[in-house]
Amino acid sequence: MVQRVVDWVDERIDLSDVRHFIAGKGVPIHAQKVWYYLGGLTLFLLAVQIFTGILLLLYYRPSAAEAYESVQFIVSDVEFGWLIRNIHSWSANLLIAVAFAHFFSVFLLKSYRKPRELTWLTGIVLLFLMLAFGFSGYLLPWNELSFFATKVGTGIAGTVPFVGRFLLRLLRGGDEVTGATLSRFYGLHVAVLPAITTALVAAHLLLVQRQGMSVPIDVEQRAKPGERLRQMPFFPNYVLRDVLAWYIALAILAALAAFYPWELGKKADQFAVVPPGIRPEWYFLAMFHTLKLLPSHILGLEGERVGVAAFGLAALFLVLVPFLDGRSNRGERSPLFTALAMLGLVYLVAFTIIGHFAK
Amino acid sequence: MDSKARTVGVLVAFLGVCPFGAGVALAQTPAGRDTCVSCHAGLPESRLARPAELFAQPDIHRESGFACADCHRGDPGATEKSRAHDGAHGFRGKPMGLAVITACARCHSDAELMRRFAPRQRVDQALEYATSVHGKRLAAGDTKVATCASCHGAHGVRRVKDSKSPVFPTNVGGTCASCHASDEHMRGYTLPGGAPLPVNQFSEYQKSVHYAALMKADDLSAPSCNACHGNHGAAPPGVGSVANVCGTCHAVFAQKFETSVHAQIFDKGCVECHGNHAVLKPSDEMLGTGAHAICATCHGGPDDKGAVAAEAMRGDIDRLKGAIDATGTLVARVKNAGIEVSTQELALAEARSHLTLARAEIHASDAARVDAIIQDGLKIVTTTDTAGQRGLRELKYRRTGLVISLGVILLVVVTLALKIRQLDRRG
Amino acid sequence: MAKLDDIRVADDREVNRRSFLDTVLNVGYVSTAAAIAYPVTRFLIPPKSGEPATASVVAAKAASLRPNSGIVFQFGNKPAIVVRTTDGELRAYSAVCTHLECTVQFKADTSQLWCACHNGIYDLSGNVVSGPPPRSLEKFNVNVRGEPGDEDIVVSRT
Repeated sequence: MVQRVVDWVDERIDLSDVRHFIAGKGVPIHAQKVWYYLGGLTLFLLAVQIFTGILLLLYYRPSAAEAYESVQFIVSDVEFGWLIRNIHSWSANLLIAVAFAHFFSVFLLKSYRKPRELTWLTGIVLLFLMLAFGFSGYLLPWNELSFFATKVGTGIAGTVPFVGRFLLRLLRGGDEVTGATLSRFYGLHVAVLPAITTALVAAHLLLVQRQGMSVPIDVEQRAKPGERLRQMPFFPNYVLRDVLAWYIALAILAALAAFYPWELGKKADQFAVVPPGIRPEWYFLAMFHTLKLLPSHILGLEGERVGVAAFGLAALFLVLVPFLDGRSNRGERSPLFTALAMLGLVYLVAFTIIGHFAK
Repeated sequence: MDSKARTVGVLVAFLGVCPFGAGVALAQTPAGRDTCVSCHAGLPESRLARPAELFAQPDIHRESGFACADCHRGDPGATEKSRAHDGAHGFRGKPMGLAVITACARCHSDAELMRRFAPRQRVDQALEYATSVHGKRLAAGDTKVATCASCHGAHGVRRVKDSKSPVFPTNVGGTCASCHASDEHMRGYTLPGGAPLPVNQFSEYQKSVHYAALMKADDLSAPSCNACHGNHGAAPPGVGSVANVCGTCHAVFAQKFETSVHAQIFDKGCVECHGNHAVLKPSDEMLGTGAHAICATCHGGPDDKGAVAAEAMRGDIDRLKGAIDATGTLVARVKNAGIEVSTQELALAEARSHLTLARAEIHASDAARVDAIIQDGLKIVTTTDTAGQRGLRELKYRRTGLVISLGVILLVVVTLALKIRQLDRRG
Repeated sequence: MAKLDDIRVADDREVNRRSFLDTVLNVGYVSTAAAIAYPVTRFLIPPKSGEPATASVVAAKAASLRPNSGIVFQFGNKPAIVVRTTDGELRAYSAVCTHLECTVQFKADTSQLWCACHNGIYDLSGNVVSGPPPRSLEKFNVNVRGEPGDEDIVVSRT
C-alpha cells in the first residue's frame, strides 16, 4: 500500500534522485557504531516533544491567573490529557539526557574533527537550546516548585559579570518572577526556541547527510590505505535499528509515565516563603551544586560570579574544541581531549549525584 | 430609677426645654471678637493655655460655630480679665461634677436645637446617664466618676466617627481603661458582694476574640466595653440578662441556649463557660469530660447524665472532624495526581458547614439533635470518600493501561530485533 | 553493500517465517499508529466542561429561575448563588458566607440571602444586614446567552 502511494508520487515528481540517494547510503560498521543511534534518538524525542507540545498548546493558558488551572484542566478534564502531559514532561528529561549522551559520544570519539566542525557548532548550540527549552518549559505549569526554581535560576543568571543585571531583567520581564516572566518564557518556549531549533536541526541533518557518518580515529588508522570499510545499507538495515531504538525509548517513556506520573503540585504563590532545599531539575543540578559549594569570595571577587564566569568560559571552550584540537584534525589520537571529555563527564555525573543527595 | 437619678433627670430635662436656656445657647460669638482664645492661648500656665490650644484643633463645636462663651458664658468681647470673666454675664468657669452634665445637656437634650445642627443625633444621653453607675454615684456626690467630658473631652471634641476620637470604636476600651484599669483611681470601689472592684477588665479584654476582631481584623462591629455595658447608661448587665446581651450578636447561640437546661441553672449565662472580658476563641477541647473541657468543671462520672451527653457530643464532633480530614487528604492526593475533584471539594465544604452547625447546636445541650446534624455530615463525607476511592481506581486504571501498552511495545521491539537479524543474515 | 540480485533464493520455510515476521511487524506498526491516533483524537475533542471552571460557569437555565428566587450552583470548587429579584433582575454572588464559610441560601419571605449557621443576613446587593459576617459577599458577573427560549445563565468572575 505504501509502495502504491510512493509510485503515485514518483509519477508526478521524479523521485529517482531520492531513491538513488537512499539506496546508495550506507553506515560504517565497526565496534563503536552503537553510538550512531543517539543522534536519531535525540531527533525522535524532539519530535515527540513538538507533537505533544502542540497538543498541550491547544488547552494551555499562559497567564499567572490561569496557567495552573489550565494544566489541572488538561490532566483531569481533557481525555488522555494526563497521558499527553506526562509524556511531554518525561520526554523532556529523556531528550536532555540523550542529547548529553550524544554530545559526549561525539566528544569522546572526536567526530567533531575536520571536516565536521560546522556539525559540531550547530550541535553545541542545539544542546544549549535544549537546556533553554527545559528551563523555560519548567515554569509553565506555574506551581510552587517551578516558580522557585525559576527564581533561583534567573537569580544565578543575574550574577553573570557585566551583563548580569540586564540579563536578569530580560529573563524575568522585570525585577521579580511574575506573570510577565511566564509570558516571556511561554513565547520563548513555543515560538523563539522552536524557530531557531528548526533551522539548526535542518542544518545539522543536512551536514550529516552530505558528509556521512564519522568513523573513530583508531578504526580509520587500522584500515589499510584505499580499503573501504564494511558498510550496512542505510535502508532498511540501519533504519530498522533506529526504529528499534525509538521503540525502546517509547517503552521507557511508558514505564516512567506509568510508575512515576508527574504531579500537579501546589499553585505558585509569589509571596510564599521559599521552600527549604529548593533546587533545579537534575540537568542543572551539577552546575547549581558547584555554585553552592564555592566559597563566598575567591581572589577578592564574589564566589558565585567567578563560578558563573568559569561556566561561561567552559561553554566557550566547548564551542571552540574542533579548532583547538589540532591532533584530531590531523587524524592522530588526541589523549588530552579524551581526558578532558572524561573529566567533564565524571564531573557532571558526580556532581549531579552529590547535588541530588545533598541536604 | 431611684430618686436622686430622677432629680437629675428632671433638672436636665427642664433646663433642656427652658427657653431661656435655649436662648442663651443661641448667643454665638460674633466673628473676630473672641478674646477668650487669644488671651488664654498666650498664658504661661499650661492648665489655662491648654483648652485654647485644644479648641483650635478639630472640634465639632467650633466647626458648628460655637465658641467659649457659648458654654462658659462671660463676655467674649472684653479685653480685660475681670470684665471677660464677669459674673453679670453669667460666667461659669470650669464646670465640675453635676454641672458638667447640665452644661452639656443644655444643648444636647434640646431636641429642637439639636435638629438645627445634627438632626439624626439622639437627645436622651443625659437621661440614660442618670441610670448609669456613673450617673447614680455622681448624684450621690462622687466626683471621681466619669462625666461627659471624661470620655468625649471638653475642648477638641471630635465626632464619634472620627478615628482619633476617644470614643471611636477602636479607642473606647482605652478610654474606659484610663480610669477602670488604674489601681489608684478605683481604690475604694467594691463589687456588690464587698470584694474590691477589679482593674483587670481591659487587660482581660485584650486577650479576647472581640479585641482581635476589632483591632486586627478591622471589624468595627465587634464589641468593645460599650457594646455590652451601654454607652451613656453604662452598667454591668444584670444577672439573667447576660444571654440577652451576648445574644444581640450571637443570636443563634442565645436561642439554642434558651432551650437548654443550663439556661435555668446558670446565673451568669454565657459567661459561665465563655468568660466576660477574656472571651477566647472557643475550641472543641472545651466540650466533653477531657482535661481542658469546661463541662468537666461540673460534670463527671458515668452516672452523670450531663457527662454522658457531653462525651457523646464531643465524640460525634471529633468523628466528623476526623472523617473530613481523612477524606480531605484522599481528595487532595487524587487531585494532585490529576483527577477532577471540584464536586468533592464542594461536598467537603458542605460537610464542614455541618461541623459549624453542630458546634452551634451543642448550646442546646441536647446530644440527640447534635447527633442528627453529625450523621448528615458523615453521609456527605462517605459519598465524597466513595468518589475519592473511584479517583484512586481511575489512577490505577491509567497505570494498568500504560503497563499494557508497555507490553505491546516490548513485543514490537522483540519482533523488530528478529527482523533486523533476518535482514542481516540475508545481506 | 547488499544488492537485490545478490539475495539468494529463499526456501519455503524461510519465506513463511519472513512473511510471518513481516505481518507481525506490520501489525505492530499499525497498532502503534492506532495507539497514538486514538488518545490524540480523544484529546482533541473538546471535553464536556468546555474550559477551566475557574473563570466562568453555566449556572442554570434562565427559564428555571423565577422572580424572587435563588439557585445555589457549583462554581469551580466553591458554591455560588444566582438570584432573580422581584423586578426580574439577575444577580450572582459567591455563596460562601464571609463568617465561617457555610453556604448561604435565598430566603423568599424576606428577599434576602441567609446563612443558616449563625443567622447571618445579606441583602440582595450582597451587603451584610445583620449577624456575624464581617464582609459582603463577593460579586460575580451575570449574563444570559443562547437560543431564545432556551437561554443559559452564565456566571463569571469580575
